Amino acid sequence: MEDPEQIRNIAIAAHVDHGKTTLTDNLLAGAGMIADEGEATRLMMDTEEDEQERGITIDAANVSMTHEYEEDNHLINLIDTPGHVDFGGDVTRAMRAVDGALVVVDAVEGAMPQTETVVRQALREGVKPALFINKVDRLISELQEGPQEMQQRLMDVIGDVNELIRGMTENRDDIDDWTVSVEDGTVAFGSALYKWGVSAPSMQRTGIGFPEIIEMERNDKRMELHEQTPLSDVVLDMVAEHFPNPLAAQPRRIPRVWRGEADSDLARQMEGVDDDGEVVFMVTDISMDPHAGEIATGRLFSGTIKQGQELYVSGTVGKNRVQSVGIFMGGEREELDRGVPAGNIAAVTGLRDAIAGSTVSSVEMTPFESIEHISEPVITKSVEAQSMDDLPKLIETLQQVAKEDPTIRVEINEDTGEHLISGQGELHLEVITQRIQKNQGIPVQTGEPIVVFRESAQSNSREVEGVSPNRHNKFYITVEPLSNDIVDAIKRGEVSMDMPELERREALQDAGMGKDTSQEVEHIHGTNILIDDTKGIQHLNETMELVIEGLEEALDDGPLANEPVQGSLLRLHDAKLHEDTIHRGPAQVIPAVRDAVHRALIDADIKLLEPIQDVRIDVPSAHMGSASGEIQGRRGRVDDMFQEGDLMVIEGIAPVEEMIGFSSDIRSATEGRASWNTENAGFRVLSDNLQREKIMGIRERKGMKLELPASVDQF
Amino acid sequence: MLTFIGLGLYDEESITVDGRAALEDADRAIAEFYTSHLVGATVAELSASHGIDIEVRDRAGVEQDPEDVLAAAENDHVAFLTAGDTMISTTHVDLRLRAIDRGIDTRVIHGVTAQTAASGLTGLQNYRFGKSVTLPFPDARGGDAVPGSVVESIEANRERGLHTLVYLDINASRDEYMTADVAAGLLTEGWTDTLGVAVARAGGPEPVVAADTLSALAAREFGDPLHLLVIPGDLHHIESDALSALGGAPADALAARER
Ligand SMILES: Nc1nc2c(ncn2[C@@H]2O[C@H](COP(=O)(O)OP(=O)(O)OP(=O)(O)O)[C@@H](O)[C@H]2O)c(=O)[nH]1
Ligand SMILES: [Mg+2]
Repeated sequence: MEDPEQIRNIAIAAHVDHGKTTLTDNLLAGAGMIADEGEATRLMMDTEEDEQERGITIDAANVSMTHEYEEDNHLINLIDTPGHVDFGGDVTRAMRAVDGALVVVDAVEGAMPQTETVVRQALREGVKPALFINKVDRLISELQEGPQEMQQRLMDVIGDVNELIRGMTENRDDIDDWTVSVEDGTVAFGSALYKWGVSAPSMQRTGIGFPEIIEMERNDKRMELHEQTPLSDVVLDMVAEHFPNPLAAQPRRIPRVWRGEADSDLARQMEGVDDDGEVVFMVTDISMDPHAGEIATGRLFSGTIKQGQELYVSGTVGKNRVQSVGIFMGGEREELDRGVPAGNIAAVTGLRDAIAGSTVSSVEMTPFESIEHISEPVITKSVEAQSMDDLPKLIETLQQVAKEDPTIRVEINEDTGEHLISGQGELHLEVITQRIQKNQGIPVQTGEPIVVFRESAQSNSREVEGVSPNRHNKFYITVEPLSNDIVDAIKRGEVSMDMPELERREALQDAGMGKDTSQEVEHIHGTNILIDDTKGIQHLNETMELVIEGLEEALDDGPLANEPVQGSLLRLHDAKLHEDTIHRGPAQVIPAVRDAVHRALIDADIKLLEPIQDVRIDVPSAHMGSASGEIQGRRGRVDDMFQEGDLMVIEGIAPVEEMIGFSSDIRSATEGRASWNTENAGFRVLSDNLQREKIMGIRERKGMKLELPASVDQF
Repeated sequence: MLTFIGLGLYDEESITVDGRAALEDADRAIAEFYTSHLVGATVAELSASHGIDIEVRDRAGVEQDPEDVLAAAENDHVAFLTAGDTMISTTHVDLRLRAIDRGIDTRVIHGVTAQTAASGLTGLQNYRFGKSVTLPFPDARGGDAVPGSVVESIEANRERGLHTLVYLDINASRDEYMTADVAAGLLTEGWTDTLGVAVARAGGPEPVVAADTLSALAAREFGDPLHLLVIPGDLHHIESDALSALGGAPADALAARER
């Protein structure tokens, strides 16, 4: 723990059910951190009751273990991440804390949609991948494959994963070749369930290769196989050998995730993993411990974090006092009075203002890049306390939920008592509401899930004049659609108001924005940009805050159905202002701007967008027709169908709204023979013939007027 | 017919005789008190005194929906009332223009305004005032406590040797009035030893005028609203005499501003 060269910070990431948690348990048992329970898997790391009931991981889990490799004792800090798409935010955040990602792929299923997603998340953060192909026992015992077939299949998996890695690192100058290979020892194979593993180096060492493995698996000698070539040694050796230690990783990672002054003491301390330096701690996870309270877990890039320190928390004023610090030993948090030095994953209590994503430091500093989860919340449920007495507790719980999981959006409405939770999918919301009921003991009533819509300009508007109520102030505004490239850059966090202006300009120009425009960016709200095209207007700087407030109000509640507006470029061309502050105050400016933005959006043919999902169904060919029918019948589109092994794969897209209830329908349509995956794929303009109907539906639900302004004529 | 009538500074007696006559003639009386306020009389007292029911409008009622005011003025005689003058600090010229647009006859009957009092009570000459400003409540707009434009206007006036009349924010809906000591406190930020003049309850029976450095004014209290503040520029000798006689200005504070 003291010597950064001996530390490895890694995450295990994979498609759902590919065996991450089983592997994690295995590594812990192998390292002597938990009892070896024989064959029965208990999924030690899925500690929550709901995780055990559902058989999936919901919360990323931190564990640490020591492993002796080449005479040195290594401390391995490991995060087991969830595989279900709905909890993808946990994976994104875990990647910030680690330097290596052990990508697990089920040998039978091969690389799946979430495999691609986790590889992308790792590479985006500059985290180095290695591959573990799991469930090889099934190839032998279940599918009865021979050596040739097996080899082909395993090589295909490696090839698929390498294709992903290559594609995503081609244009990256901070990464040379991160593809994995058997010869290099960056690929291992095995069975997490039966606890054996194999890699090129292990073959050398134990003399046990595939022929021996096939032999023993077939003859049911798994215990022996485990003893002769234990999975944990194979994998932990690979971790120690091939994943970078913090000293090697931080110089590459810091410039990618931190935009502060590169030529500064602070940058040098972070790149050098200096335990005498300033404390710089990035919080990647917030969790509640019944005894210790709120625990902030994250990566300590520099300094030594200790009890009693007063630390700044980005985005808040004042300091928080560290109550305790610790690391994880096995799955348990262990407090350390002497503190935790740079390079480790630390667990800290007392940081009450921190949220997942905060930068916590002993000096005021440029915070780390925010950890953007690509997929925005797409589905919403209302939650009401059954008893009025629980209301304060419910609000507090909801606020806590939002703090722990940034991929959730919580809207608290104290007037109606009907609060809205938006999340990544049905399961996400179900888990949260269940936890509120069970863990907090608050009986709640939930509404039907509804999807979240967006509104977006489709063309360029003419110049629109917004007049303040007292008619002494006027604002001239246009709207045009932003290109997808720019919208994506904002979503990925590559463009934000938090970064230095020069860098923002460059990033915007890289994404295709004109030079002049990029120099006049005044504000970014969601994926919308405000450009100040005015020249030398007196008092405008003082009024700009109010202009922005009006703009934000207009964009948060779009003109069609009060849904958020996305992807618009707004230009303020001119403004006429009253001489005295009082007569250009909030009551004047905000409504003037709000109204102008709405009218400009309508003039720009604003339309309603709905969230869509990529859908992949794996199904025996006999059920192919009914399975693809399930997509098409949901306003969906089938893009591809192909054979993979003995299954047909159907790929397509469908609106999230129509996908509600999909799981039971597809089950009955295919006699339960289909397995399917969905992944949120952003928003799509709803077809014209559905616009009015959907808009009116939303307006009715929200209790809005059931008529649109006469100027709405775009559908 | 739409008649704009200034109610003057203090109570039901502050209106002009001309204004009172017009008000008596009116069929309807509509008032707004969101930018200023009569401290010496309630709306009920005003109504009783002038023998007409006065309807009070909030800002939205005047600015956003002036429709029924105008509609009423098309056939009847409507009086539109504000404290002070209807056209000085809160300019209702917009309402007047809308009325003219609709072919409604309009008339303005002046009222005594803070501008008059600022000169009249302090002895500072009307000719030597620059731009006026309003000092808003700090929480009303986030950001800096004193808006940059206020600072700039005072600076610009002072550079040219001119006085600045500082109107003080009121929040009608919460019945809050900025007092001169608070205003002086906000302005000490930039001008600690600068001379200021606090005027309290102008137009009332016992107005207070106090001239001193802003930091000294910030430490005093001037009683009930309404207050205003003047930041003198260079002082003519008569002005200087007036500030010491009427406002008790200490000699050293005056000396700094004398030309
Ligand atoms: N046959 C076989 N089954 C395995 C192996 N590894 C895991 N499993 C089974 O696969 C299922 C999923 O395993 P988990 O470890 O929960 O998978 P996971 O990747 O953690 O799942 P999520 O966290 O929910 O994404 C369980 O039923 C395991 O018993 C293996 O090597 N061979
Ligand atoms: Mg798991």
